[in-house]
Amino acid sequence: MLEIIHRLLFATLDAAPALVFAALGAVLSERAGVVAVGMEGMMRTGAFCAAVAALVMPTPLAVGMGMLAGAALAAVHGFLCIRWRSDQVVSGIALNLVALAGGTFLLETHFGPNGTPPIQQLSTWELPGLSSIPVLGALSGHAAPTYLALGLPLLLQAMLTRTPLGLRLRAVGDKPHAVATLGLSVPALRWGAVLGSGLLAGLGGAVLSTTVLDRFEQHTPAGLGFMALAAMVFGRWTPMGAFLAAAFFAFGNALRIGLASSSPALLELVPQGVLLALPYVLTLLVLTLQGQRNSTPAALGVPYEQESR
Amino acid sequence: MGERTRQALPSVLSVLLSLVVCWLLIALSKDADGFTTATAAYLQMLWGGVGDWPRYLEGAAATVLTRPLGEAAMKAALLTFTGLSVAVAFKVGLFNIGAQGQMILGALAAAVVGAHVALPAPLHIPAALLGAALAGGAWAGIAAALRLYRGVHEVISTIMLNWVALRLVDNWLVVGPLRGVAEAGASITGTAEIHPTAQLPRLLGDVSRLNLGFVLAVVAAVTVWAWLTRTRSGFETRAVGLGDEAARAAGIPVARRAGLAMALAGALAGLAGAVLVLGTEGRYPGTLGAPYGFDGIAIALIGNNHPLGVGAAALFFGVLRAGGTRMQLLDVHKSFPELIQGLALLFVAGRLIWLAVLRKRSAPAPMPAAPPAPAAQVPHA
Repeated sequence: MLEIIHRLLFATLDAAPALVFAALGAVLSERAGVVAVGMEGMMRTGAFCAAVAALVMPTPLAVGMGMLAGAALAAVHGFLCIRWRSDQVVSGIALNLVALAGGTFLLETHFGPNGTPPIQQLSTWELPGLSSIPVLGALSGHAAPTYLALGLPLLLQAMLTRTPLGLRLRAVGDKPHAVATLGLSVPALRWGAVLGSGLLAGLGGAVLSTTVLDRFEQHTPAGLGFMALAAMVFGRWTPMGAFLAAAFFAFGNALRIGLASSSPALLELVPQGVLLALPYVLTLLVLTLQGQRNSTPAALGVPYEQESR
Repeated sequence: MGERTRQALPSVLSVLLSLVVCWLLIALSKDADGFTTATAAYLQMLWGGVGDWPRYLEGAAATVLTRPLGEAAMKAALLTFTGLSVAVAFKVGLFNIGAQGQMILGALAAAVVGAHVALPAPLHIPAALLGAALAGGAWAGIAAALRLYRGVHEVISTIMLNWVALRLVDNWLVVGPLRGVAEAGASITGTAEIHPTAQLPRLLGDVSRLNLGFVLAVVAAVTVWAWLTRTRSGFETRAVGLGDEAARAAGIPVARRAGLAMALAGALAGLAGAVLVLGTEGRYPGTLGAPYGFDGIAIALIGNNHPLGVGAAALFFGVLRAGGTRMQLLDVHKSFPELIQGLALLFVAGRLIWLAVLRKRSAPAPMPAAPPAPAAQVPHA
């Protein structure tokens, strides 16, 4: 039994970081009032660029390149949405489409349909003394992103709730005109949040291609960017909430894979497709029960115009 | 510049710009003679979409025209339906990201009615279409109900519903309870073959896959247009989209209009699935393949959410999609039509940039002393 819990926990800790980073990025962007539908595209770009970069440079550096690539795509989003007040959902969807088609084109013309060549994965860290303890030992033996994914939500939560910058970011998502009245720049704050979300989405993608896999494949990240949006909503637009939701999704996934491989009898009872649909059904159920109006940032998706009151 | 031109111009310019950008991309990705290759690839794409006229004029059989045209019309029909789906929801102020899921449900319903119900042909096709419309409408209705009664944003709920539809249908129903069995008892991919009575008739016989679905798509676009502009409920729907508080004050039943528009959106996406199954696939295949539902978002926005604009955009991208595979003859990757579509949407997203540029162009030089300002220095409006 302990062994099973250990294995599930280990699998969750391995798979969760990509989703956690993307969900945190989505929270950052949306708390500042900019819709983050483009997460999937930014993750995909980050995953692809990190995998390609890792072919010519050390993997940790390549992860950084993936983050920059995600931020580059976010900059397009910022240019269209903040600078030119474009519809944020349209811009995000467009980025997803471009990242999908462009990524497929670059992948297949340079590497063929089977993905990039294998790369050096991020090295894993053994935590001495911990690995021998049952269950808790599952904490040991992961790559750096796992530990970052455990710490960053707390940091971001503290930043958003306890610091002047966090207060301003949240205010920009709720009442941008009030922020402007205080003499602060609404566009600058939103630019910071959007670029930050791009860095985080890029990191999430890079984690996929450098720890979960050892390459970029055609189907990376396979909807994880949209899952991140669900985690964000599920977690009511808070970093800790999004983290818990993302961890829950990742655990559910590990559980599903674990169950499917350990007890085929279960698949007779509950078909694979139903299990696969479960996290999405659960998300819908939770959203239905909690309702949504009270936690959505008030100015989310509303382009900021100086003179409109 | 008339208002209509002003509304349509950004879309047209965006499509042109994306064509130019992709042409450059192809040219730059080729080492030698890139520009010649890029131009030749575009011509191949064109001939693959509107018929290979050069070869026809050299004496090839008429199928070099009918086959590409049929493929283009088939793809255009699907894009019209899903594009209309997204556009109708937009008219009432809702963003339907869920056309893909609604299309999956519609395709499945059409496949089930087509294969498991025995009816004479004049009834079978309408029954299958109705089943698909109801299934798609019901799937969208879930999102509408969640939005209206629980405040769950439709962008999130329709994304979730897409995944639920995909997983339940592709990973369970089609490989499980609804899996088709061939004559010899061997299983086949997808559901059972539909009866011949449920097949949409082909308009040009066997030389082309062009079928009644194209006609249905044209009828749907015109009907939606007429509904929005010529009927009271269509007018009220648009009023809700322009501002629900004002609409409510004017006595329009806002919730009912929004719910109806979303259900109609789902029905249209469901019909896309039906046209795919009844017109070309003959069954629900292992998976629907191309994400026509997501393409519908791009088509709706490039078509400026106008039913006839949607039809025009669908026709254009149907031609590019059908011709795209022909680019491979020149070793150009077949994903370019999708890239063109994605970039066009990105440029359409910058509608205000286009309008600012156009305004400056059409203004009769109001600032004599000022040097022409680069775009980046245009002050915030």
